[in-house]
Amino acid sequence: MIYDLAHVTRYDYSAPVAESRCLLRLMPVDRPGQKVQAAKLAFEPEPARQVSRIDAFGNHIVEVEFDKPHKSLIIKATARTSIERSMFTVPAATRPWETVREAAREATDLSEAGPAIYLYESRHIAFDTRVTDYCAASFPPGRPILEGALELARRIQKDFAYDPKATEVSTPLARAFQVKRGVCQDFAHVMIAGLRGLGLCAGYVSGYLRTVPPPGKPRLEGADATHAWVSVWCGPEIGWVGVDPTNGILASDDHVILAIGRDYADIAPVDGVIIASGNHKLSVAVDVVPVARA
Amino acid sequence: MAGLATQEQRRSGERLQRLLAGYRPQSGVFDELLDADGRPRPHWSTLLNTLADHTGGELEARFATADRYLRDSGVFYRVQDDPTGGERPWPLAHVPLVIPAAEWRGLERGLIQRARLLDAVLDDVFGPGQLIKDGALPATLVAGNREFHPALRGVPVKTGRRLAFYAADLGRGPDGRWWVLSDRAQAPSGSGYALENRIALAGAFADLFGRLSVERLAPFFQAFRDGLAAASGRDEPRIGVLTPGPLNETYFEHAYLARYLGFVLVEGGDLVENDGTVYVRTVEGLKRADVLLRRLDTDFADPLELNAASHIGVPGLVEAIRRGTLTLANSLGSGFVESPALMSFLPGLARRLLKEELILPSVATWWCGQPQARETVRAEFDARVIGSAFGRRIPVLPGQGGTIGADLDGKTRADILEWMERRGVDLVAQEVVHLSTMPVWQAGRLVARPFVLRAYVAATDDGYAVMPGGFCRVSDTEDARAISMGSGARATDVWVLSDKPVEAVSLLPAPDKVRVHRANASLPSRAADNLFWLGRYWERTDITLRLVRALSARLSEAVSGGRGGASATKRLIETLVGWDAVPAALAGLPANVPMAALTEAVGTGSALVLAREARRAASAIRERLSGDTLRPIDELVALLDAARSDEELTPPEAHALTERAMREIAALNGFIFDSLNRRGGWRFIDVGRRIERAVAIARLTRQFGEPTATPDMLDLILEITDSQITYRRRYLFGAARLPILDLALLDPAMPRSVAFQVNEIVAHLAALPLDRTDGMLEPCRRLAQRLAAELATQEAGGIDRTRILGFEQQVMQLSDEFSSRFFRQNRLDGSDVKGLT
Repeated sequence: MIYDLAHVTRYDYSAPVAESRCLLRLMPVDRPGQKVQAAKLAFEPEPARQVSRIDAFGNHIVEVEFDKPHKSLIIKATARTSIERSMFTVPAATRPWETVREAAREATDLSEAGPAIYLYESRHIAFDTRVTDYCAASFPPGRPILEGALELARRIQKDFAYDPKATEVSTPLARAFQVKRGVCQDFAHVMIAGLRGLGLCAGYVSGYLRTVPPPGKPRLEGADATHAWVSVWCGPEIGWVGVDPTNGILASDDHVILAIGRDYADIAPVDGVIIASGNHKLSVAVDVVPVARA
Repeated sequence: MAGLATQEQRRSGERLQRLLAGYRPQSGVFDELLDADGRPRPHWSTLLNTLADHTGGELEARFATADRYLRDSGVFYRVQDDPTGGERPWPLAHVPLVIPAAEWRGLERGLIQRARLLDAVLDDVFGPGQLIKDGALPATLVAGNREFHPALRGVPVKTGRRLAFYAADLGRGPDGRWWVLSDRAQAPSGSGYALENRIALAGAFADLFGRLSVERLAPFFQAFRDGLAAASGRDEPRIGVLTPGPLNETYFEHAYLARYLGFVLVEGGDLVENDGTVYVRTVEGLKRADVLLRRLDTDFADPLELNAASHIGVPGLVEAIRRGTLTLANSLGSGFVESPALMSFLPGLARRLLKEELILPSVATWWCGQPQARETVRAEFDARVIGSAFGRRIPVLPGQGGTIGADLDGKTRADILEWMERRGVDLVAQEVVHLSTMPVWQAGRLVARPFVLRAYVAATDDGYAVMPGGFCRVSDTEDARAISMGSGARATDVWVLSDKPVEAVSLLPAPDKVRVHRANASLPSRAADNLFWLGRYWERTDITLRLVRALSARLSEAVSGGRGGASATKRLIETLVGWDAVPAALAGLPANVPMAALTEAVGTGSALVLAREARRAASAIRERLSGDTLRPIDELVALLDAARSDEELTPPEAHALTERAMREIAALNGFIFDSLNRRGGWRFIDVGRRIERAVAIARLTRQFGEPTATPDMLDLILEITDSQITYRRRYLFGAARLPILDLALLDPAMPRSVAFQVNEIVAHLAALPLDRTDGMLEPCRRLAQRLAAELATQEAGGIDRTRILGFEQQVMQLSDEFSSRFFRQNRLDGSDVKGLT
């Protein structure tokens, strides 16, 4: 599938901002099964400086600096991306989860591709034995890891209500777990906390879902905003596989990856330092449109 | 004669016996003072004899001298659990730890080797990562460390050294060997306290210190300072101490070291990164920073690349390091080597990285991320201290500090074992360490107490060097297990004996290297801001005290049947309520107002609250203020604090208290006027005072000088502005409105008139650095000069309420413009930055 992505972020400030610096993670990169054909950022006002680099997780980062007073800021990211995840992993054919856990301990890869940096607590992932115990139910001894992960994703989809009013970006996962409500970010955090609690390695994926479903298919949750799901390490042979607890499915050709990290803090689309006195209002609009093949 | 000497010897032997009568080291524990047969070890004899030669009373007096020094020098650490942000002196145990030269040399070798080793580990982990690829360090052991930020991998260091200042907590086991209990590499604290403890004890026992050849500390710091300067690669580098700020528990030490080493103390907000270079915001504009002695944790250092939630870091700091324009000591991520999980790997890493055997052993440690270690720990669970491997909170562990397995109940033990099965990587087990004991003076005699010795290593031009001394923390219980120590109850100095004569060295440079100059280093904007507010709060305290004095005097007269003017009394109380010095509810209870205005802890305007604010501003810049400046502020706060009680002060008592309080005000004012360097921050204190005074006097003349004012109210203006004598000399009649308004507002010769304050501010502005190069007046200067001209040409006859309010508002506006010019330089215009040093 080929998609045209548009991601528009708008800040309106109550008082003019004298100076601001932002770190943007809005540009998709090539990944296994994903190819970026074109990508572009546009700003209003124009930044005084703009620097691009690849961060420690392999994400494309753009750092921008504004030095003229401004009352609003518009960031428009557009990209054309093709997805071919034809090689689906068969969950039942993956390794028993305990052996994956041992393999992670023996890994000698400290990079973003290896499991080690996705094993521990992180800013939004605090361990909670109730969450671990909830997830442990999907992992009886000897079960193939991806089978367990997919079942866990389905349980989360079934047990948790999709409710954008229930949580915010800063809501701790223990709270979302307690009320059993939230959005894709909460479900991903709960699943990651449970997997890591068992000693497995899991990462946080931010990205997009196609906005309009294919004919005859239901519209998936999270399609009108940025979406989030989980990447599970399934052992050295298979590596990372995407699992979407919001929809209870494996990541498919409808999932476009924007950035990967340990949790939301590593992939926040816009991180910034603003010197201003007032409040701000934020609005985000996302569009993911399949391009008809010529 | 010989008989006398023998008698003297016998007597001193008896005194020594008395001194040691209660000294009973525990069996199975090494004691520093006594050997296994109970005889004093030779290197203690001089110290012991000195102690024995003094009576208990003499010794107590000496100890009190040392305590007084520490109190007066302001050696404080912030007490974290005190909601009012209190500060306490660090209590001193009065007997130093004595270590002989030969033994110290062994420790020195081990410490230097360890610093080299840890530096090499850091270099690999944040560099090529060969140790991980080869499996010498498990990837999960590195990834679990909170100091390992993936963003810092590949960030180079200019000097090739990542560890510039390192400390090890040492304990001596029952076999007499020293062990490393923990490594400190993030921002090791205590070296400043060690310096102060040295000055305190060496001062109290000057004779003894002179007789014993004790190694001096100054050369160590000198070499460290030179090493940092060389690390910058620039001729006259600007070196700063980067602190998290006054709320940090070791802020005193940051300020102390900055002053001692001659560095500028900066917080994240004082620094700004621009195009790969970090600058200090000063009242003279931006000045390049070359080296930062980092006392701020890695995680908080840069909100852009590390923790986005940090408000105390410098956005872009990592980028400046990447570009090689800034050197951090220690480098970001240096705290990595503090993890106890690393300890079991050190012997192998020493062989691999240094081709040497590890000299100083660490506490036996098992990291439960490895299957074999896990088996061992399961088998010996009861005998081990179980703790968090990376300082993370582990829900199943009872506390942060580690617990002995045998002390755990069945449920906790089962939870920990399950956690170990799922996530052994989070846990570490260590053997239970028994510490050696040293003598401590307690209730008139010596007792044996366990201690931990913190030793310091610094990178110098000539490789690593060890501070010959240390920071010794002594327990106040007999329990010799290291785990029971906590942070220690008291601290003491460490005297390393030299086998050569010791030269006295201070941090003063050799005479031929000194160039005479009169310029001070640029004042950071934040320091100037605090000086300004110190001036404002101190002046506001003064004015409030003056009002309370006037009120309590009038109320006292009323009590004794005098004829205090009712209208002035009423207006005074309204004024104090209006300034939030007393709650409005007290307006109906005049007799209670003076005490409340002095000691009320709620609200924003009582003398106590204002004096505390002044102290807060002063303690944020204590490295720039001498003890003479801080002491009157502390004493004033203490005086007003002590007066707080349920017992109401009568107006005459309140009057007496106010008089005492005003003496502290006078003491500081005299000091500011007579002793502060006129080039430094003095002008900012004084501008703060002038602004506050001008506003207060304008307000008072509005409230007490309206056309309908009674003579008693007009008298009050004269009283508060210290103008009675001048008035009586100039005018034969009683209080009249226009002459009084002239004195209080317009007369440039009256030190409390508004005109006088504004003229002083104009003079200060003329002496302060300019920001513009186009020759035009900056807004604050324009405003000050216009107001001065208005006041100079104004006639008393034309003054009314509106006119006074106009003056008052212009002074407030002047304060805003002054602040935005000197303290808030947020704007970073590309054109401004060119041509900076």
